[in-house]
Amino acid sequence: MFKYMQKTALAAAMVMAAGAAWAEFPDKPITIIVGFDAGGGTDVMARTAAPFIEKYLGAGASLVVKNVPGASGQIGVTEVANSVADGYTIGTYNLPGMMARTLDREAGYTADSFSYLANVVNDPNVIVTSKASGLDTMEKLIAAAKAEPGAITVGMSSLGGDDHFLLTKLGKVTETEYTIVPFKGSAPARTALMGGHVAMGILNISEVADFQDQINVLGVATAKRSEFAPDVPTFEEQGIALESGSMRGFVAPAGLPPEVEAKFIEAFDKLASDKDFAAAMAATSNPVELKVGADFKALNAETLDLAKTVWETSPWN
Amino acid sequence: MYLDLLHALPHVLSLTNFLAVTIGVVAGIVVGALPGLSATMAISVLVPFTFGLEPLVALGLMAGIYNGAMYGGAIPAVLLRIPGTPAAVATTFDGYPMAQKGEGGFALQVAVVSSSIGGIASAFALMLLAPPLSKLTLLFGPAEVFWIAVFAMCSIIFMLGGNVVKGLISACFGVFVSVVGSDPIFGNDRYTFGYLELLDGINIVILLVGLYALPPVLDLLESPLKTDTANENLGTEPIWRTLPRMMRFWKTWLRGSLIGIWIGILPGAGGSMAAFMSYNEARRASKTPESWGHGEPEGVAAAEVANNADTASALIPALTLGIPGTSVAAVMLGGLLIHGLQPGPMLFRENPDIVFGFMWQFLFGAILLLFLGGSLATNSFAKLLKLPRPLLGSVIIVLMVIGVYSIHGRMFDVYLMLGFGAVGYVMDKLKFPLPPVVLGLILGAFAEENLRLSLRIGRGDWGILFANHTSQVLVALTIAVVFGPSLKRRYWDNRKSGAQG
Repeated sequence: MFKYMQKTALAAAMVMAAGAAWAEFPDKPITIIVGFDAGGGTDVMARTAAPFIEKYLGAGASLVVKNVPGASGQIGVTEVANSVADGYTIGTYNLPGMMARTLDREAGYTADSFSYLANVVNDPNVIVTSKASGLDTMEKLIAAAKAEPGAITVGMSSLGGDDHFLLTKLGKVTETEYTIVPFKGSAPARTALMGGHVAMGILNISEVADFQDQINVLGVATAKRSEFAPDVPTFEEQGIALESGSMRGFVAPAGLPPEVEAKFIEAFDKLASDKDFAAAMAATSNPVELKVGADFKALNAETLDLAKTVWETSPWN
Repeated sequence: MYLDLLHALPHVLSLTNFLAVTIGVVAGIVVGALPGLSATMAISVLVPFTFGLEPLVALGLMAGIYNGAMYGGAIPAVLLRIPGTPAAVATTFDGYPMAQKGEGGFALQVAVVSSSIGGIASAFALMLLAPPLSKLTLLFGPAEVFWIAVFAMCSIIFMLGGNVVKGLISACFGVFVSVVGSDPIFGNDRYTFGYLELLDGINIVILLVGLYALPPVLDLLESPLKTDTANENLGTEPIWRTLPRMMRFWKTWLRGSLIGIWIGILPGAGGSMAAFMSYNEARRASKTPESWGHGEPEGVAAAEVANNADTASALIPALTLGIPGTSVAAVMLGGLLIHGLQPGPMLFRENPDIVFGFMWQFLFGAILLLFLGGSLATNSFAKLLKLPRPLLGSVIIVLMVIGVYSIHGRMFDVYLMLGFGAVGYVMDKLKFPLPPVVLGLILGAFAEENLRLSLRIGRGDWGILFANHTSQVLVALTIAVVFGPSLKRRYWDNRKSGAQG
């Protein structure tokens, strides 16, 4: 009896395996490699988006999140770049960080190592000042920076990130100079700002939306006002051309089979118009800005160019 | 401010959270009762496993273990004159003589009641002091945090007792380990040898497991302790009959609680110091100091109340400033961070239910200790001392390896942990203190990062380090800690020679 069962099971397994070869993508679970710990911003994005991507990939697709944290996402993204390009491994991707790392260290990948599926989140930068500084408008801030170049201390989360690039742009556009104080992450930078230990800070809108009573939020670096803080004007409105943010999306290793890539692109396209998805992302403080396929690739190239110019004029290490 | 405290209460009372505290207390007593295994070790082995749990469940386990272990250490201290944890050394002074007189049961009851009272006092201190202090933390910019780190490192080196030079070497090793990883300002690689795994620096939990868990386990395996010397008859009476006899200790309890709370808040010092100080003060205040050391129950009360009174209060600087004062607090911070909870003023604002729930769990843990450690349970815990050691040791080693692997899911960390274990074993044999290594790792990184940040804020002017009153006070405290002990000694020597001459 037992032997018989074994044989049947074996036969069944063989039939299933043969079936798999013919089945349409995806016929087994897809792994999403998240380069950060569970619970972080990127992880929350991946976990929130996963059920929606499953829905649009159809055919009972299932996505499994695998956290490979370390080195600001470097370890995870390197693993994605080196995995088999069959569509069963995709990963999260952060801009400008991932491209900036190709400049300031020997990264195990380049811009050509990936198939760019979609950028999902764009958390725009904001310029904030401490209440103690008295600099409650952009005009006052720029006047103060011009009066004594370098006198304004700027807290930010790290060098070589979106906040650093925004400050470089600001300096160029307004011809001003600042003293950069790179904290380890945005939370301590924000705390130092609230305590008045630094005069100015560059953060992301999701990090300051709830703190508008304790710090001055001077402007947001987007084309349109952010729904997270509708009363904060854009820099555009204030006559300064500045757009920048921290972006998070999904990539796969380069060289995906065309039909698999097309399937992902189609799924992400559908995601853009899903109201439930937008609501789920808003609930987790993730400002959504979908850029799919070629658009995402262009965005990546653009970011790399910007990072290169900053790196060449003022390298950060 | 205290309203959040009440709001958090229902969360803590949920079945799973309450169960976590209960399990924690029992586990803590067990661990504490086994000589060589400390609260730090138990919690560091546990932390990686709590990853998949709800934050409050995880924290409840830790709070329970901490409270339980501080009492558990008294069991072998009383019965075998082997302190189960370093903090229980002072408990042996009077506890063991009591056991020899056949009053071991009473000694353990005094220990459990005193531990519980100390724990309750400490939990109240945490509840009342941490919320207002968390508002003050905005005063602490990079310069002030730098000084706190320096102060804490000096106090652990100079006040731990023992050899200052060895303490300094231990601390330097910790500081060196903190240098590994990417530079906090510029992000250059330092001592990573091309391993991406080292880029984030060395995870405190990995170091702790290796350093704190491996050496005692190896010790356990290499010297099968004779455990059958424990007196079978503990002479235990029901606790409600012995309780009235303890009421006369109320002054000692009060004094010991205050000492324990104060020592807990001070970064650097820990449970053992609190117990010694409390014991000495109580003896000085006693009308019959000559009976101390020969089985005076008040001596057990003094030591045990103080080593539990520093538990929750040690978390005050940890939760408000993110600076752990003791190695246990350091592991607990590691546990918070694993759950994405960043200590500091934002913690109280963004996760009030968790922070305040954690405080409640300390209180419940201390109360539960009274019941779980009560007379009947004490007898069974005393039997623990007969567990086969090789079995115990191998179980712990397996847990350590699985736990460390599960933090990031990589073998690299396991090798790292084993490496630190080897270092810890050698240090242990050569009598180098281990706490300075842990605090050196954490505080060294704090000191470096904040020194460099303040110099950037001051645009290269070192004056910024002394620019405000908070900094100046901290500098004064640091100087007092460094030179205080030697000045005091010289003063006493002078008086002695003066009296002779």
